[in-house]
Amino acid sequence: MKVAIIAANSGMFDAYKVFNIATAAAATDAEVGIFFTFEGLNLIHKEAHKNLPMPAGTEHFQEGFKKANVPPVEELVGMAADLGVKMIACQMTMDVMSLEKEQFIEGIDVGGAVTFLTFAKDADVTLTF
Amino acid sequence: MDVNKVLDAKGLACPMPIVKTKKEMTTLEAGQVMEIQATDKGSTADLKAWAESTGNQYLGTVEDGDVLKHYLRKATPEEEKEEAKHPDVVNLGDLQKKIAGEEKITILDVREPAEYAFGHIPGAVNIPLGELEKRFEELNQDDELHIICRTGSRSDLAAQKLTEKGFKNVKNVVPGMKEWTGDLNKNH
Repeated sequence: MKVAIIAANSGMFDAYKVFNIATAAAATDAEVGIFFTFEGLNLIHKEAHKNLPMPAGTEHFQEGFKKANVPPVEELVGMAADLGVKMIACQMTMDVMSLEKEQFIEGIDVGGAVTFLTFAKDADVTLTF
Repeated sequence: MDVNKVLDAKGLACPMPIVKTKKEMTTLEAGQVMEIQATDKGSTADLKAWAESTGNQYLGTVEDGDVLKHYLRKATPEEEKEEAKHPDVVNLGDLQKKIAGEEKITILDVREPAEYAFGHIPGAVNIPLGELEKRFEELNQDDELHIICRTGSRSDLAAQKLTEKGFKNVKNVVPGMKEWTGDLNKNH
């Protein structure tokens, strides 16, 4: 199984949608690639992904995350990397936002749209968050 | 239940039970059984699907209070091949007829205890293939012995082994429990 994901948003819920699916797929022996673009880049930004915002009006779910023992986003990202999930940061967004590769977590690739498309062209599952 | 490894995934939310299972499974040898303890209610459906996708064998789940105990066996690609070398084979339909008949027959189930616990033919004796070498004397050499496993592969090896030991009337049941539709006993 091959899973291609586009992460284009930076809320805390978005992070869990992306990384839960990605780690579950990788743990099920799937080849997984995520393309982080626009706000999605925050999910792999060294600092930003430690403090992602909850959608307005849902702050009270904070408690629920704790109760359900959901790991912090940071931990999930590390797990995804351990499981061999390929993470591609969008070069064009990085240029627009003046971001450098060093500001992101270790082990990511930087690439353009075609880098992702080449990975995704024979994927079994394609998701956009 | 007799297992080779117990994984504690209690208190963990999805996808952690799966991620942990995947990691622990790599430490098991083919044929070994793992018990995964979880409190995530979605873990039953998830582990079942995970086993199917990764070619492992989901045996079943036992509820123990709030804890779900899932049993998985690390399967090997070879055993799906159903390559039988022992010449004397009997199919499931004929076995069912024999069970219904008057004649007394012995069924030897050579799967792991956890597999046996989640469903076996009533009256079948359980000696896992790996223990047959030291336990074959529990069996009567003169009985008509019907050996069964999940796919016919382990039972084939068991039939060959018992024939070597001097058993004269040994039959391999094919394909095995995965297609058995008759009565089942459970003990868990």
